[in-house]
Amino acid sequence: MLRLPFTQRGSRPLSGVATVSAEFDVAVLGAGIVGASCAWHLARRGARVVVIDASGPAAAASGASDGAVSVASKKPGVLARLATQSLLYTRTLAQDGPLRGHFHPRPAWYFATTEAELVALDALIAKLDALDGPVRSGRDGGAALLPGAGVLVRRLVEIRGEGHMTGYSAVRALLADPRIARLWPAAVAAIEPDDKGVTLALADGRSLRAGRVIAALGTSTPALFPGLPVRPLAGQLIITDRGAPGALEGALTAASYLIAKTADPSRLPEPPVVIDPLVTGQVLIGSSRVEHGDPARMDFDTILRLVRRAAAVWPALAERRVIRAFVGIRAAVADGLPIVGALPGFDRVLLATGFEGDGICLSALMGREVAAMALGDSPAEGVERDLAALSPARFEPAAREVAQ
Amino acid sequence: MPDDRVIVVGAGPAGMAAAVALAEGGQRVLLVDQARTPGGAVHRAPLPGVAPLGLPEHRRRWAALTARATAQASRIETAFETRFAGVDATGAVLLTGARNRLLQPRGVIVALGARERVLPRPGWTLPGVLTAGAIQTGLKTSGEAPQGRVVLAGSGPLLLAVGAELAALGRPPVAIIEAARPFGAGALGLPLAYLAEAARYRLRLLGVPVLTGSRLVEIVPGLEAMVDTPKGPRRFAADLIGLHDGIAPNVSGLGGPCPIPLLRAGDGREALGARAAMLDGTRAGQAMLALLAGRPVPPEPAALIRQRAAQARLARIYARDEGAALDALPPDTILCRCESRSRADLAALGESPTGRDLRLTGRFGMGACQGRVCGEWVAHFAKTRDLGRPRLPLRPLSIADLLAVPAADTGD
Repeated sequence: MLRLPFTQRGSRPLSGVATVSAEFDVAVLGAGIVGASCAWHLARRGARVVVIDASGPAAAASGASDGAVSVASKKPGVLARLATQSLLYTRTLAQDGPLRGHFHPRPAWYFATTEAELVALDALIAKLDALDGPVRSGRDGGAALLPGAGVLVRRLVEIRGEGHMTGYSAVRALLADPRIARLWPAAVAAIEPDDKGVTLALADGRSLRAGRVIAALGTSTPALFPGLPVRPLAGQLIITDRGAPGALEGALTAASYLIAKTADPSRLPEPPVVIDPLVTGQVLIGSSRVEHGDPARMDFDTILRLVRRAAAVWPALAERRVIRAFVGIRAAVADGLPIVGALPGFDRVLLATGFEGDGICLSALMGREVAAMALGDSPAEGVERDLAALSPARFEPAAREVAQ
Repeated sequence: MPDDRVIVVGAGPAGMAAAVALAEGGQRVLLVDQARTPGGAVHRAPLPGVAPLGLPEHRRRWAALTARATAQASRIETAFETRFAGVDATGAVLLTGARNRLLQPRGVIVALGARERVLPRPGWTLPGVLTAGAIQTGLKTSGEAPQGRVVLAGSGPLLLAVGAELAALGRPPVAIIEAARPFGAGALGLPLAYLAEAARYRLRLLGVPVLTGSRLVEIVPGLEAMVDTPKGPRRFAADLIGLHDGIAPNVSGLGGPCPIPLLRAGDGREALGARAAMLDGTRAGQAMLALLAGRPVPPEPAALIRQRAAQARLARIYARDEGAALDALPPDTILCRCESRSRADLAALGESPTGRDLRLTGRFGMGACQGRVCGEWVAHFAKTRDLGRPRLPLRPLSIADLLAVPAADTGD
């Protein structure tokens, strides 16, 4: 038996279990937005693909996310560049592809109330200027720029060119392709590659053969790859009742959210709050960033802090009611970058995970590129280097030594 | 900041009995209720100058309990017109309304009363259609029966009780539509107190048609109740229709596990009626004292076990095929009132939708009630129990109230 890197020692050997009849070219593990996009791109290129999920479509981060397709919120560098490419491709898929009706262009606003946030907005504008892409900063000024903004707001920056895509509806749309086989609820207990393909052992005792596997497991990554530095990062979210639409056309985000992407979130001066008007007429208020993976760990203290800051910058929220507060879990990687690419030495096993809430935005591009990798094609022009930076090879002991 | 009190939520018979048991055991209590006065649904206090309704023996028991509470006034602090949002994963309790506080009590006893069940029916969302319980609350508070023709429909002893109260106030209902056939020989096994209560109700309802084995199958606008009876269809014009299909424990989510003792008491824990609620409140209060002192929790009192047996018999007497009634509903019947989602909308989700499909795509249970009203019916049609637990808060929270919580409560 081959020993896969990053998996647990002594994974369960397969013996005499019933085999799911069909054989697939590619098995995608995980029916979140990234897995769904991989599967759709594979099916479109004629591969026989099956999507396997322990519970069902959009069961974790994709179903709990705010749905921002945003470049401005990305960490500068690799992620901001890839997000730019993904945004452009998302627009294409929304024009005449499977995301038609699911992606909606809309403006976004970032605000600052503290000195540190004022500086972060300068950095945001510089980042977008350097990218020179479809997302640009627009108006920049005081609270008066946006009727309805609270007096505590010292600076607002408008962002143009981004959009919104509701995670679960996009997942459903991608997986609606009849060429995609579906298997859920079915948990994968072990991945066993050999010379000809990969055998997947399901927890219920069945097994399945595929030529290649794409593990788009998000928060479930540690169950199969405990050696990868993927950890859960919880965020509390609040949903209000419906109300008058008001002047807010897109998300209004604290600049401390940008700081949270690059600094220790426990040292943030203010909660990295986002006020997001939903298509239903409700408002989503997010989100905290706490190191745990328990969706039941909701606390009123965090809710009160988020609500206070949200209502200070958007006072009309005081007329709404909170109907639901819950915890969403993101899959975060130690170095803040997703893990995308073949396992070192095992080109039949590919990873596409650790998007930490950026999966909605990056899914279009990642689905296309990981599908290409699985079919043995080279990456699209212009993204090779940034994709290479996401390879799981960076966590190999040898690679770590070189880095040090 | 840690608080040395136990919070008791609900000042009805169970909550009041729990508060008294705790205080008599030396424990300080904060007794919270959304109403202006104690009493809950059963002993709802009438407005000043209005004579109380209800049975004399119930009133005597309540008076004795409130006298004991008064004697413990130094240990029982009350917070009326205050709503309970739940207990979070840290053991903190959020209260809003007249008081807006985030507290960290030693323990919590939740005595929110039963949930009134109402089966969906075509037209059940029309204006003029309420629950029988809501009609009863109104007349207990105001001492006046509503104007116009009232039809009570569904199933359960409450229909007779509300009908009798309307009759006592001089405006008997036009008809009572009861799906079960509760007046057969099986009723003779009930405790005498139950039979006496039923006899009093029937006496007051002389002249009112009580149609058993009958169902209100549709409510048409303008307000007419279309009823299927064993002798054929009938229709009743009405100004107000009170629906009721029994009571159920109120098990809606309080959140996940929490680090402080959290107990339920009364009809909210197990729907056993007003007599049992007081007994169960005392039980919960004593159990909380034991938990806080690290002593073993005392066993259930025998009287509570007897009430359970009586309620089980009552449930058999009121047996009816609810599944058939639900399965006969037309596709456009609204199931989820908050989000206006119908039986057809649910069917469109496919053969066996997951909880996620139901919520995110179907939008069932995503409105203000978080599935606390429709969850049982959605579960029937979706053939799943996996609707996801209702999320906190227990009921919608005004953001203005949240902003009034003192900064000190969140350590700011």
